Amino acid sequence: MSIRFVTREIGSLAKPSWRVKTFAGRPLEESDFAAAESWGRRLEVAGHEELVEGLRAGSLSKSQVDGWAAIYAIRLLEQVGLDVVYDGEQKRTEMYDHVAGFARGFEPRGIVRSFDNKYYAKAAVVEAPSVSGPQDVEEFEFVRAQTDRAVKVPLTGAYTMEDWSYDEHYGHEGGLGASAEQRYDGRRRFVHDVAVNVIRPNVEGLIAAGAEWIQIDEPAATTKPDEVPLVVEGFNEATRGVEAKKSMHICFSDYGALWPAVMELEDCLELQLEFANRDSRELGTKDEDRPGYADTLALFKEHGYPGVGLGVLDIHSDFVEPAELVRDRVLYAAEVLGDPERIQVNPDCGLRTRRWDVVYEKLANMVQGTRLAEDALN
Amino acid sequence: MNAFAPGIYPRSEALVQATRDLDRGRVSPEAVAEQTRRDVEELVSVQRAAGLAFQSDGMLGWQDLFRPLAEASHGLDARPLTRFLDTNTFYRAVLVEGEPRLETPLPAPDLPAGEWVGTLPSPLAFARAAQDEVSAEKLAANVLAPQIQAWTDAGAALIVLSEPFAAREGDVDELRRALDELPPATLALQLPFADASPILPALADARVSAIGVDFYSTSLDALPTGFPKGILAGMVDARSSALESPAEISRFVEGLVGREPGPVSLVPNGDLQFVPEPIAREKLACLGQVSAGLAEVA
Repeated sequence: MSIRFVTREIGSLAKPSWRVKTFAGRPLEESDFAAAESWGRRLEVAGHEELVEGLRAGSLSKSQVDGWAAIYAIRLLEQVGLDVVYDGEQKRTEMYDHVAGFARGFEPRGIVRSFDNKYYAKAAVVEAPSVSGPQDVEEFEFVRAQTDRAVKVPLTGAYTMEDWSYDEHYGHEGGLGASAEQRYDGRRRFVHDVAVNVIRPNVEGLIAAGAEWIQIDEPAATTKPDEVPLVVEGFNEATRGVEAKKSMHICFSDYGALWPAVMELEDCLELQLEFANRDSRELGTKDEDRPGYADTLALFKEHGYPGVGLGVLDIHSDFVEPAELVRDRVLYAAEVLGDPERIQVNPDCGLRTRRWDVVYEKLANMVQGTRLAEDALN
Repeated sequence: MNAFAPGIYPRSEALVQATRDLDRGRVSPEAVAEQTRRDVEELVSVQRAAGLAFQSDGMLGWQDLFRPLAEASHGLDARPLTRFLDTNTFYRAVLVEGEPRLETPLPAPDLPAGEWVGTLPSPLAFARAAQDEVSAEKLAANVLAPQIQAWTDAGAALIVLSEPFAAREGDVDELRRALDELPPATLALQLPFADASPILPALADARVSAIGVDFYSTSLDALPTGFPKGILAGMVDARSSALESPAEISRFVEGLVGREPGPVSLVPNGDLQFVPEPIAREKLACLGQVSAGLAEVA
C-alpha cells in the first residue's frame, strides 16, 4: 500500500489588515483595498470584488467582514494543497480570549507579555465557568459550507484555560503559606469545570452539527510538568464518548514531561507537536541532521503513542523551508518510528505571526515536500 | 524591614502599544525608546511613592532574562523560542558559538548610586538556558562577573541573581561553585515561583548575602531556624491578579521573623511582568504599606 501523508494547518492565520482595521474602527487605506483585491484574485475568491467595493464604501458589517476573511483563509489553505482545512480562526480574537470572552465566570484583567513584543489579554476566573450553549457551531457550519475538504476544528483545551487565567475563585485556600496539595486541588477543580461546563458542550454541539475532527489545543501542557495528568483529565472529560476523530496540539514545551501521562488520553488519534523551531535548517536524514526531532520522536517510539502530527515549519520565522527540508524531516520521522502511517504533517503551530505571502510559500513547500517524501517512500 | 521589587516589571499599555507598532513598522525605535524612558520615570516615581528602599528600572527593554547578556557577549547568541518554566512566557535559548566573554557590560540604570537594585540571571540559570553547552562556572567568570563588577562600580545597592531552575532540580553544588566565581558584591539569589524547601539548607553557605524565597510555593516550616542568610521574602504573588492583604502578609512576616533568619526584605515572589502593569503597581504599594507598617511596630 502506498504512503499518503495527510497535510493540514494547526489553527490560526494572521488576520488581513482590512479585517483588523474594520474591527478596530480604524480607517482603511488604499493598501488595504489593494490587499483585498490582490489576494482575492490570487486565491480566486468568488465575488471578491464585492468585498473590495464594500470595504471602500464602508457598507459591510463586522460579521460580513470576518466572513470574507474566513473565506480568504480557507481558499489560501485549499490553494496551497492542504488536505484538511479550517478558517485560520478569522472569527476568533485569539485562542484564550475567544473562550474567556464567551464563557461566564471570567473577567478581563489586562495585557501581559508572552515573549518579545508579543502580548495576550489575560482574564481572571471569578466564579465556576459555564456556557449557555456551544460556542463554535456557527463558525463550523460556515466553514463546512465553504469547502469540500476535510475540516478539523481547533478548540482551546481546559488545562490551557486554567493555566493562562488568574485564579480569583478556586485558589482562596492556595495563597500565602498554602500547601502544594491545596494549590493542586484548586487547579484541578478549575480544569474540571472548564472541561465539563465549557468545552464539552461545544464539542457536543459541533459533533451534532457534523464536525468529524476535534483538535484540542494545549500549548500550556507542560508548563507545570507535574500537572500533565490534569491536561489528560481535561481532554478526557471534554471529549469522552464523542464519536469523532480527536487529537491534541502542544507546542514549545518540554515533551519529555508528557509521558507516560499522555498514554491515558482516551481515543486521541495523535499529538501534533512543534519540532521545526528546534531543528537545523540543513538537509539530511541522520540523527545529527535533525536535532529538533530526535529526542521527541524517540519518546513516540519508546511509548508507542498512536500518531504524531509532525511540525515541519517554524512558525516564528520568515525563513521558507525548502520542500527538500520538509521531505527530510518527514523521512527522518518515518525512519525513526519505522511506521510512516503514524505520521501526519503540519506546521509547528498556528501561523498567525507570519504574513500571508510567507505563509503561502511555507505551506506550499510543506505540501510539496510531503509529496517528495511520499515519492521516496513509495 | 525594607521592601523592593527586583526583576522584569510589566510594560504600560502605552509601551505595549509602542512595541507592537514598532513590530508593524508604524513607529520608530526612537519613539519606543522615548516611551520606555517615560515608563521608567513613572516606575521609579511609583516605587518612591510606595516607600520602597531600592528602585529598579524594571528592565523594560529586556526581551527576556538572558538575551541582553547573550547579545552583549562574544560566543553567545539567541534563537530557539523556549518556554520559561511555569509560565506562559518564552525566552530565546542561548546558543553557544564560541568561548563566551562579555564584550561590553550592559549599562547601569540611570538611578542614584546606592539606591538601585539590579537583576541578572544566576550562572546556573544562564547555563540551563544555554542547554548546558557551557558551564555555569564559565558563564559566571566570563560574563556575569564583569557585569556584576560594572554595576557595582556604578552604584548598585544590591544585585539579585534570578535562579528559577535550582529549586526544581534539588541540587546546588554546581550553583555554589559558580557563585564562587563572582566578585565581591552585595548579591542575593532569588528562587522565583519555586518550592525552595529542597535546597534551602544547602544554600546556607552559598556566596550570597540573601536568598529569595517564594512563600506562595514554600512552606514557612521549610526555613531552618536561625538561617544565617538574609531572606528576600516573596510576599506578593507576581502570578496572581488577586491583591494581597497587608494584614495577612504582616502576620506571615511575624512568623518568618520568629524563625530568626538574617535580615528580611519584602519582595514579589518573582518578576512582576506576569501581571498587567496596573496590578503590579498595586502590589508595589502593598509591599510598601506592609514595610511601613512593620517599621512602625518595630
